[in-house]
Amino acid sequence: MLSRSKFTLFTVALLIMALALAGCGGKADNKQAAEKVFVFAQGSDPRGLDPAFVDDGESANPIVNIYDTLVRYKSGSTEIEPALATEWTPSPDGKEWTFKLRQNVKFHDGTPFNADAVVYSVSRQLPPQRTDDMPYASFTFGPVQKVEKVDDYTVKFILSDPYAPFLANLAMALAAPIVSPAAVEKYGKDFIDNPVGTGPFKFAEWKKGQQIELVANKEYWGGAPKLDKLVYKFVKENSVRASELRTGAVQAMNGVDPNDVKMLEDAGVKVIKNPGMNINYLAFFSNKKPFDNPKLREAVSHAINRQNLVEFLYQGLAELPNGVLPSFMPGYDKTLAPYDYNPEKAKQLLAEAGYPNGLKTTLLTYSTVRPYNPVGGDKLAAAIQADLRKVGIEAEIKTYPWKEYKEIYTPEIVKEGDMMLYGWIGDNGDPDNFLSLLETKEIKSTLNTGKYSNKKVDELLVKGRTAQAMEERNAAYSELQKIVEKDAPWVFLSHSKDMAAYNSNVEGMDLHPTGVIFFRDVDIKK
Amino acid sequence: MSDTVTSPAGAGAGVQYSPAADFWKRLKKNKLAMVSLAFLLLLVFLALFAGMVAPYDPYEGNMPMSLKGPSADHLLGTDELGRDILSRIIYGTQISLRVGIIAVSIALMAGMFFGSVAGYYGGRIDNLIMRFMDIMLAFPSLLLAIAFMMVLGKGIENAIIAIAIVSVPEYARIVRGSVLSVKENEYVQAARTIGCNDGQIIFRHILPNVMAPLIVRSTLGISAAILETAALGFLGLGVQPPYAEWGTMLGSGRGYLFNAPHLVTFPGIAITLTVMAFNLFGDGLRDALDPRLRR
Repeated sequence: MLSRSKFTLFTVALLIMALALAGCGGKADNKQAAEKVFVFAQGSDPRGLDPAFVDDGESANPIVNIYDTLVRYKSGSTEIEPALATEWTPSPDGKEWTFKLRQNVKFHDGTPFNADAVVYSVSRQLPPQRTDDMPYASFTFGPVQKVEKVDDYTVKFILSDPYAPFLANLAMALAAPIVSPAAVEKYGKDFIDNPVGTGPFKFAEWKKGQQIELVANKEYWGGAPKLDKLVYKFVKENSVRASELRTGAVQAMNGVDPNDVKMLEDAGVKVIKNPGMNINYLAFFSNKKPFDNPKLREAVSHAINRQNLVEFLYQGLAELPNGVLPSFMPGYDKTLAPYDYNPEKAKQLLAEAGYPNGLKTTLLTYSTVRPYNPVGGDKLAAAIQADLRKVGIEAEIKTYPWKEYKEIYTPEIVKEGDMMLYGWIGDNGDPDNFLSLLETKEIKSTLNTGKYSNKKVDELLVKGRTAQAMEERNAAYSELQKIVEKDAPWVFLSHSKDMAAYNSNVEGMDLHPTGVIFFRDVDIKK
Repeated sequence: MSDTVTSPAGAGAGVQYSPAADFWKRLKKNKLAMVSLAFLLLLVFLALFAGMVAPYDPYEGNMPMSLKGPSADHLLGTDELGRDILSRIIYGTQISLRVGIIAVSIALMAGMFFGSVAGYYGGRIDNLIMRFMDIMLAFPSLLLAIAFMMVLGKGIENAIIAIAIVSVPEYARIVRGSVLSVKENEYVQAARTIGCNDGQIIFRHILPNVMAPLIVRSTLGISAAILETAALGFLGLGVQPPYAEWGTMLGSGRGYLFNAPHLVTFPGIAITLTVMAFNLFGDGLRDALDPRLRR
């Protein structure tokens, strides 16, 4: 009896082992034949996937891989190369641009890409069709009056004025990508959840709050991408994203927490640290009390220890700004010297502004991490709050989820608070792209978050935009930045280094200066 | 000794009987409860004299000193803004105790009112009140508290209200049960006969006799309230920065779990010890107050 039960046990064990082995074998076989799935972790959902209606980096990341633009940036720089347009010629006065389009390109829905598609994509964002919820339309297309079809594969843009950043703008991730007219007509308002472009990856599925799945566009005009599937997974916590990367659950991530860099590098993960084309700033609502008073803005600027923020909060993985523009960008003026850290001066200014006994105020912030603020809005706000406290300014912090944040600061008069934290990620490498955030007309488009308005600044922006020679533009931008420096509509907190991390088996990964990752050439090594 | 009037309970013992002394004697025997009591008294002391006891200003950041581990200068280390964690934990007792005690007091009063009305009058009123309480009990209390916070907005006052509201049903049920069990007693009948009105009967005669289970429940309730505050703080709903609250400290420190674990360990220990102390003390109280356990 004993031997019998032993025998049974033995048989059962054998069976289990056989099954397990079979399972393993099956899995291994599957894997070899299996698709190359690349999972990329980012901090939150995109606001949407229709390039006309969104303005955030989380949206830009999938958008650049679903859509193409007429011209595109070279890898690693903001120089322009052909994409959907093969060649282009400006008229001598700089007011007309003619583009020859690439032939035999199809949208993911099978409809052909041609001049009509370009006219449709752009025209829907030009007046009179432009609506208020298109945050980038006026920014990207600037003085574009009209876009015309010349023949099936030629289009002409007509501008009201010469516009220096025009070509670079057509390569931007937002507003500029060409959408399928048939799909926009089919989905209407829901196109934002059902994007159709010509890019290297096709949209497959969006599980809100979890992930977006894209599949390879095998017929991509630039050659089929090496990956079969690209998944954007949304993981809010920096540390969770980092540990998922370490365990191999994801292949790459952005928004690396400065605190995690060493831990990741020790674990064999590669960390990209590029000088970032971004600005992390605090904006005063300068169109209402109390910060319509420039003295008070100056006081706060003196009270924030920016050097400490860069050095300790961001652990040196950021640069100290001297103004709006990062140091590597055209238009940067190294002679600028914004208000330094000087708590005594701050107290004095506070008293002069009529608040000798201190000031109670409200600081608005967002709860997520941002590419320009990798430690998250709440921590940055707490650090600033602690600094302000030392000079007698009591700042109440109000934190909002990223998706709600926009609704809070959008109204012309913001009721919820007096200052806000925000940032900007450059789109096209042109100084106008940063500096026009302070233009009066951008208040309406919500890009001018602090509602700062100065006629002289507006004039200089126009001057810089229409001038053809770079020296002329730089002179205008220098003058402009000096005014801004004095007016202090923002406190320039940091230029965060662009960081992304990826596993060592990933090839061809690069973080573009515009903050996005193009996946057309990315591969996973076996 | 022999000529003193002895109460029925003390008759056999032949000593003068005092319920309070008896209770204290029983409680004293419970070592765990006494240790807990000492710890709780220490917490109260820390909360009252936080300003004097704390070695640093809990809100004063010193960035160059950020994320340093425990040292002689900072016994429990510093957080991401260079604030002293020990000082923040000490100031945190103020918030935790305040929320715990106020929330439980509100819940207790509301619960006593609804419970005694339901138990005393019975019938339709009873059904109406208690079914409503049942509905509230059907939801996990933390979930309900989060829902209330969403409506009320963030902040400590709202956290107190939310926690109080969600714990009302428990007290109401206890009170109702106790009222049901004593309302037909002779002394209640007697009170009614001599013309006391309902209010007098409930408050003078019934409620004092159902206090024992309530005291025990409230002590345990404080620990639950502290835990819920910490949970709300962890989720970023409770106390807003820069105020030091244990759960908020945990929440903001979890990003540093790998390179500065002291940011979460010490507030975590503080929460655990406090909640445990209230629970053990509550258990001790129950044992000491329960008449069935006498002798």
